Amino acid sequence: MTTASAAVDTEQLARQLFEEMERLGKSSETFARLASRRLSVQIGQTPRTTIWALNKMRLYHYHPQTLPEQRKPVPLLLVFALINRPEIFDLCPGNSFVEYMLRQGYEVYLLDWGRPGLEDAEFDFEDYALNFLPRAVRALQRHTGKREFSLLGWCIGATLCTIYAAMRPNDGLRNLVLLTAPLDFANKGAGPFNRWLNTEYYNVDELVRQYGNVPGEIIDYGSKMLKPVENFVTNYLKLWDNLDNQAIVESWLAMNTWVTDLVDFPGAAFRQWVVEFFRENKLIEGRLMMEGRPVDMGQIRASVLNVIADKDHIVPNCQSTTAMDRFGTRDKLLLEMKGGHIGLMVGSGASKRTWPQIDAWLARRSG
Amino acid sequence: MSQNPPDGFDPNDPLGTWRSIRDANLDAWARGMTAMVNTESFAKAIGMQLDTILAASAPIQKAVHQYMESYLAQVNMPSRNEVVSLAARLTNIELRLDDMQSQLDELLTAVRAIQLAPPPVAELPAPTDAPAAPPAAAPRRTRKARTADQQ
Repeated sequence: MTTASAAVDTEQLARQLFEEMERLGKSSETFARLASRRLSVQIGQTPRTTIWALNKMRLYHYHPQTLPEQRKPVPLLLVFALINRPEIFDLCPGNSFVEYMLRQGYEVYLLDWGRPGLEDAEFDFEDYALNFLPRAVRALQRHTGKREFSLLGWCIGATLCTIYAAMRPNDGLRNLVLLTAPLDFANKGAGPFNRWLNTEYYNVDELVRQYGNVPGEIIDYGSKMLKPVENFVTNYLKLWDNLDNQAIVESWLAMNTWVTDLVDFPGAAFRQWVVEFFRENKLIEGRLMMEGRPVDMGQIRASVLNVIADKDHIVPNCQSTTAMDRFGTRDKLLLEMKGGHIGLMVGSGASKRTWPQIDAWLARRSG
Repeated sequence: MSQNPPDGFDPNDPLGTWRSIRDANLDAWARGMTAMVNTESFAKAIGMQLDTILAASAPIQKAVHQYMESYLAQVNMPSRNEVVSLAARLTNIELRLDDMQSQLDELLTAVRAIQLAPPPVAELPAPTDAPAAPPAAAPRRTRKARTADQQ
């Protein structure tokens, strides 16, 4: 097997062994601190003020980082999914979309849905999109003193924003940015979630009846099972390989802190998500009834930026792209970026590619 | 870490070689598993697994629920359902308060707009010999006074 060029150099081998042992020593120390939970990072550190609260929901206003004359006149409201925490928008300094947009001169607001209790189990998409979101918008408008605003929704947050934009086209919404938006579930073979939730064995009614809200652990297990080896094995091996690299460890820890901070999915909303969205595909077909009328995406008048990720394994691209024909506005753009469902907005790739693209699109429409 | 030779084994970097082999195996395993979870059979299996767990837990949950209800009633403590019901009522109150705050804000905005608007041109008073008095502030009309006026 060995060739002349690959002859054993005992000196080099010994040096490598020494370096490896040195690395192992450092890694073990970091590992011990990690395992004993003495190593932690705080996520969502950008200074903010709560300007509105209702039940568990909070609307945060991030403190501007630019001079008043440099700020964009149209404020930006961020809306995340009903599962997991919205701090992913503001993971850590240097890796924060919120921080980036503040530096670009936006007035940034974040709607936090909170952690639903059993008393919130009856809330469905209509409640979130057409009762709570408009109230948060009203609070934002009161705070800014302006009527126009931009809305950025991510994942299920994008679905909620789409419903809101379709049902409240005259509320002052100027720009709608959708990130990995699950809107069209016609392709039943697209992605494991579609297959799992469409089987008759998946008894969503009994799940919701027993638990009230679907535990975050079940949602998390489902998400991780989409890529089991990556999530249960490779993720930790990569950490082990880089335990001597402080920056990588902190970055991993920040992401892990967010991933493991689980939020229950409100029962009625989850049932509706499975039955009316995944199984019956009512939204895109204009059959989703809310407030006694169908949600018509053709009513969306705001400019739309629809961002998809080429390696998104949670929301397959076909769930977002086909919606482009349904938006009523003529100013709409489909933007395909490199990355996965979360990597699209987090990490160095996001700060170099996705964020500047969103800013460039929004800036032209926020004057 | 040194570059591996084309045959994949570098005797001077056994750990690097081991990592390469490990990663290649993991990649293959990951691809296989990702493909497997995206099959109809797996979907049925995971659905049946959930169904089995729910079927098994239902009678236990029911028994625990009944026991806790009666126990809490005996010790004069509210049950979970009662606490949940109370919390739901509080949420409804919060919603009403939110609406009222919004309406109040709208009213205040309207009042401020009226206050800032230029006063209507009034008819000039007839000239008298008495010295001109400073303009009196408009009297604050109490709810009672307004009621009396209306009568």
